[in-house]
Amino acid sequence: ILDLYEFCSISFPLKYFFFLFAVGVVAVEDQPDVSAVLSAYNQQGDPAMYEEYYSGLKHFIECSLDCHRAELSQLFYPLFVHMYLELVYNQHENEAKSFFEKFHGDQECYYQDDLRVLSSLTKKEHMKGNETMLDFRTSKFVLRISRDSYQLLKRHLQEKQNNQIWNIVQEHLYIDIFDGMPRSKQQIDAMVGSLAGEAKREANKAKVFFGLLKEPEIEVPLDDEDEEGENEEGKPKKKKPKKDSMGSKSKKQDPNAPPQNRIPLPELKDSDKLDKIMNMKETTKRVRLGPDCLPSICFYTFLNAYQGLTAVDVTDDSSLIAGGFADSTVRVWSVTPKKLRSVKTATDLSLIDKESDDVLERIMDEKTASELKILYGHSGPVYGASFSPDRNYLLSSSEDGTVRLWSLQTFTCLVGYKGHNYPVWDTQFSPYGYYFVSGGHDRVARLWATDHYQPLRIFAGHLADVNCTRFHPNSNYVATGSADRTVRLWDVLNGNCVRIFTGHKGPIHSLAFSPNGRFLATGATDGRVLLWDIGHGLMVGELKGHTDTVCSLKFSRDGEILASGSMDNTVRLWDAIKAFEDLETDDFTTATGHINLPENSQDLLLGTYMTKSTPVVHLHFTRRNLVLAAGAYSPQ
Amino acid sequence: MEPAKMASPKSGPKDALVMAQILKDMGITDYEPKVINQMLEFAFRYVTTILDDAKIYSSHAKKATVDADDVRLAIQCRSDQSFTSPPPRDFLLDIARQKNQTPLPLIKPYSGLRLPPDRYCLTAPNYRLKPLPKKGPAAAGRITVPRLSVGAVSSRPSTPTLGTPSAQSVAVSTKVGAPVSVPGQRFTVQIPPSQSAAAKPAVPAAPAVQNVLINPSLIGPKNILITTNVVSQNTPVESPNALKRKHEDDDDYDNL
Repeated sequence: ILDLYEFCSISFPLKYFFFLFAVGVVAVEDQPDVSAVLSAYNQQGDPAMYEEYYSGLKHFIECSLDCHRAELSQLFYPLFVHMYLELVYNQHENEAKSFFEKFHGDQECYYQDDLRVLSSLTKKEHMKGNETMLDFRTSKFVLRISRDSYQLLKRHLQEKQNNQIWNIVQEHLYIDIFDGMPRSKQQIDAMVGSLAGEAKREANKAKVFFGLLKEPEIEVPLDDEDEEGENEEGKPKKKKPKKDSMGSKSKKQDPNAPPQNRIPLPELKDSDKLDKIMNMKETTKRVRLGPDCLPSICFYTFLNAYQGLTAVDVTDDSSLIAGGFADSTVRVWSVTPKKLRSVKTATDLSLIDKESDDVLERIMDEKTASELKILYGHSGPVYGASFSPDRNYLLSSSEDGTVRLWSLQTFTCLVGYKGHNYPVWDTQFSPYGYYFVSGGHDRVARLWATDHYQPLRIFAGHLADVNCTRFHPNSNYVATGSADRTVRLWDVLNGNCVRIFTGHKGPIHSLAFSPNGRFLATGATDGRVLLWDIGHGLMVGELKGHTDTVCSLKFSRDGEILASGSMDNTVRLWDAIKAFEDLETDDFTTATGHINLPENSQDLLLGTYMTKSTPVVHLHFTRRNLVLAAGAYSPQ
Repeated sequence: MEPAKMASPKSGPKDALVMAQILKDMGITDYEPKVINQMLEFAFRYVTTILDDAKIYSSHAKKATVDADDVRLAIQCRSDQSFTSPPPRDFLLDIARQKNQTPLPLIKPYSGLRLPPDRYCLTAPNYRLKPLPKKGPAAAGRITVPRLSVGAVSSRPSTPTLGTPSAQSVAVSTKVGAPVSVPGQRFTVQIPPSQSAAAKPAVPAAPAVQNVLINPSLIGPKNILITTNVVSQNTPVESPNALKRKHEDDDDYDNL
């Protein structure tokens, strides 16, 4: 990072010595990496000339051919930011201010939030604490430009007077060239917006196993219940999965599904098998949803929360609701008439008859049964909550930097996982239990197992806070949505980032995988819901309609409907089947990632349901496809 | 408190107007009125802390007045203390690379409750009971010393020791509910011979234990010693989560 020979080329030896001195002083307190990284901002010529360079480039781009202009205009934002930061770092405060004043209005509207942050960075000291800006500086902003436009640009910049800009371009930008037609403004606008530019095409080329894991064989007791839902239970497995078997749909090995033992997963306990049987029975009674059969929505409003409700989760069988609050408590409610009971104390337990059949009932304490249990332990607002699939545990993540595991048998805290030292914005259990993922302010997501006090995997790469973390249904991948406006998909096996999705214009606050594992829906503060095909790494849909942050997304149990809840106090239902059909995936699209999105948001919108000034914080589809929504009443 | 739209005080103190302008410049338009007071208090506290520190540094350097260097140093030290920022990117990428290289550990089957080792859990009792001072030499029948010491998982030999010798000692293995059970753990409770009618060792509703010393600071992975000295009844074990371990005698703690 620190190129010494480039330093020697600076024409001001005084500046060089001053800089070394500054580095010497600063490096004592800070980590040496930070100052080394900052020092990569070597002087690229006379500061007073920056405005001229930028104006010159602006003039050139505006005079270029229409077809190239849209692509070349992508250069404005990264160049503007990098040149401004360079002026600030080299302490030309006045030049920086006038540079900012002159050109900040030319930038695209969706960069306004970043520009506001930049306008407050006027001194070198301000840059030290802002990790996001530092990361922006050290990572290369990716631009995707067609070969023709690139040639045009290169020819212009390599003329002598524009050499400075060419140096900056080479230093801070990565230009991903593709062969083909230059993109239109509309196509570009759909994909840009993130702090890191777009995604390089090769970043989205790795193979992703998006298929689902096979359901295990469970012997369903043969009663009148039909078993048309899943084929494999009840019938003894006569054939090996790889061989073609007649009649049974799901015996073939899905080429897109990960091998069963790709990552170690906990074995099924007897209680899990019973749960699965219950699940299958409920599945047969499930309502088939569609545009003509919309689900009913049951809304759970948290009253008197005084804007303190910060996280909600519902168990898979919809029996418990947990709420995380700004007063650092976690409250668990029972939704069904069955009350919450905790296990008896040790003294009482020794009195019961351990041989009786209903010992599991006798160990529960009826005297303290209640509908609500409050869990105390965190020392900061609770921003994430997640029930385990077997309903034994509850996870909560908080501003105090810890993730706590609570037992739902005793309603006490079992473990506090310390790793993030900064607020943890979200946490989720894996669909099979045992693993969980958490993401926080330190810009990484961590994968944990309940029996390890340190994380198993660290997913580092985002430039800003990780706001949302979700497991893929097959538990082999984790999706993270970040404040740097990208969504990344990580492989649990080796921690690699296998997909980068850009296109949102604001921090991402909600993610949802489709039940078949092929698609991902993401919602951000820009009010749009974007749909992504994981296998190909492409954006396949855009749902416009919400006017404020989309803070919750959920697919229905069979993937026919996508429900989105937003801070604009509405729940919207979208037709997911229609959104995902007719995907054009010809070779050019797959190679370049350019897709023309149809403007069909209105066709896909099935219904808008307004609440009375209650932002919709959480959505949940019950096993029979009833929608449960939750939020706190916040009167305006 | 309900959120109010930005209400810039028309005729407020100049500082408040400046603060409102700062908030506006940073793009914050929707805040409660008390936020301005809070920000002003913070600014005041920050500046006075820095200046106090600068005065200390300047007097340490035996300077006559506080100058810019002192202030600069004060700001730097304070920012490293209070306003820490998350680790830089290359550091994160480095530790991520290290962590991600190790393969995922295999999961032991049939292991019931999957929790980290006990010292990393919050399941240990966080109190200990201080024993009563002995009232007389003939302690049999009145004062018993069933001693439960719970130590960290270490390799010290676990020898149950009993304060007053007694005829009976009953080993009890207690299961505390299915999910919390740690199979194979036991503790030894001594029952005074006079109470031997109660074969079961744990009796609820024990009369008041005197001189109970609660040590709430022992939470987490530490050596926790529980010594209980029950006047007349058997030992009430309060916490349903108490993991019973082989206890050991630790003479560092209060002796009985």
